[in-house]
Amino acid sequence: MSDASSQLAGGFSARLPVSLRPRDEELLRDGRRRLIETTLLLLAGLVLAIATVNDVVLQTHVNHRLVADLRTWRAYTGHDYRNLSVEQDLYGHTTREVVCGNTTPGPPKERVQLCLVITGPVSHGRRAARGGWYLPPRSEDLRPVRYACFGSATTLALCP
Amino acid sequence: MSVAAERELGLSGARSERWAPALAALLAVLLVAATAEIVLDGAVGHSPLIPKSPEIAGWLQGIGERLGYRVFLIAILVFAGAYAGMLALARGITKRSAIILIGALHALVFAGPILLSTDVFSYIAYARMGIEHGINPYTHGPIAIVRDPVYRYVGQDWKHVATAYGPLYTLLSYPLAPLGVKGALWGMKLVAQLASIGTLVLTWRCARARDLNPVTAILVVGANPLYVIYGLGGAHNDLIMLLLMMAAVSLTLAGRDAAAAASVLAGALVKATVAVLLPFMILARRSRAQILGGAAALALGALIGYAAFGVHGIDVVAALNRDAAFVSTDSFPTEIAHLFGKPGVFPVDHDLLKVALVLIAAYLLWRTWRGYDWVAASGWMLLAITVTSTWLLAWYILWPLPLAVIARDRRLLAATLTVQALFIAHQTTPLFAPVS
Repeated sequence: MSDASSQLAGGFSARLPVSLRPRDEELLRDGRRRLIETTLLLLAGLVLAIATVNDVVLQTHVNHRLVADLRTWRAYTGHDYRNLSVEQDLYGHTTREVVCGNTTPGPPKERVQLCLVITGPVSHGRRAARGGWYLPPRSEDLRPVRYACFGSATTLALCP
Repeated sequence: MSVAAERELGLSGARSERWAPALAALLAVLLVAATAEIVLDGAVGHSPLIPKSPEIAGWLQGIGERLGYRVFLIAILVFAGAYAGMLALARGITKRSAIILIGALHALVFAGPILLSTDVFSYIAYARMGIEHGINPYTHGPIAIVRDPVYRYVGQDWKHVATAYGPLYTLLSYPLAPLGVKGALWGMKLVAQLASIGTLVLTWRCARARDLNPVTAILVVGANPLYVIYGLGGAHNDLIMLLLMMAAVSLTLAGRDAAAAASVLAGALVKATVAVLLPFMILARRSRAQILGGAAALALGALIGYAAFGVHGIDVVAALNRDAAFVSTDSFPTEIAHLFGKPGVFPVDHDLLKVALVLIAAYLLWRTWRGYDWVAASGWMLLAITVTSTWLLAWYILWPLPLAVIARDRRLLAATLTVQALFIAHQTTPLFAPVS
């Protein structure tokens, strides 16, 4: 099969003025332009590569912290539950996280839940639980439904 | 160069030629082994990487172990490494060996469970909404068929979302709806396989038409880790879009402009993104047949879409706008936002990205007008869409790949593979810090 697209199309395009006809080869193969394009592509690639590596490192730190948070919740409550929910403080740029889980065995969020506010550096695979609150069964962690606040949750006014 | 040095070079060349087939065979074994590991472990189920699904790969159970992030990521990295090595050796690989390898990868994925995505269940849900329940999938989400057996398999995020796919795809999926969830799932898997085979055949033809090595071309596409594991593994309809895109390129290369334009339009009625090829194709060929063919296909498609689904069935812009507002953690804009200390992308970033995309499109159109390879320009445009999209999924990065292997600008292939490599690298976090 031949590459017909590399030949000038007949008919309609043949009737066009020469300057408007499709071209087999690019006008003025400009080495300088190619160099600029390649440089821009390499720069774009470099930015993407740095952003990717940065994100992997950030996410690795977050994962490391989340593992510590889950361990902390389990150690604090004495329950070895798997279905815990973790909420990060995305907008405050802090490493404060809230981990919630059932207080008795059952499907996720179907029992009274205990939420812990966890902060600080990872030490011996855990972080510090500074406060928390309880949530009624079948409810999301929204401020109006929180009750029995304790520790830093009270001082930070995280409960109604 | 001295005679001795030349002789030495010749000897080492002969030695490397002797080793190349053995090395290529080893790499092929690695590709197949990595795929088999993912498929067999995936067949066990109960994995966060395998969507909840009717049991279709039960006969493979008992061979593997539950697929965890660690094993999956190691398998993907092995696959990607072997793929890179395979491309380096591609010139020495025979047509027969390449076909056997690609066939084996396809067969393995076909036999296994749905991998990594619930999208195929959305496709089935939309088909069943139309055929079994008489509900327009362009006005309602799968939540409208909450009692249908497919509903429980639809991804949580998509239960309230009406279909974003083109009316041609929705109509093509309708015959699978009466087959039940399992039957439709096998049907979707078969369609994905056939679309992939068609895409590879057309890639072969286009590469030959452009005096490129067709074996390398089909290996680049058909043995690509994202293509095999994510694209085929998830039975994504992007493969149908790729088939129609490559049909359009093949038809253009054969000088059949009207049919080529109609093929692009048909592809856009499956998934709208492929429509970006049309302006480049028209600027390159400047043929009346192309414009007439495209207009006829668009009119026919719009008529059928309207007749079947009403005005919502042809409102592609609304669906695109909705999807453009989504944000995924794997998207490059999100990564760049994190790099600059922002928690994610904001509405203003969406606008900036749209402006960047328009500028890139304008530059590529200008280059195409002046004679730059339209296939390469289309590929760059698709790559730019994926890189600037805030909603990036693995199978989106497949869009420019078949064009990249047949483009006259080899930088496109390098850029596409680099973007794919970065995407895979971004997935590797759980290897460094697994979450229990």
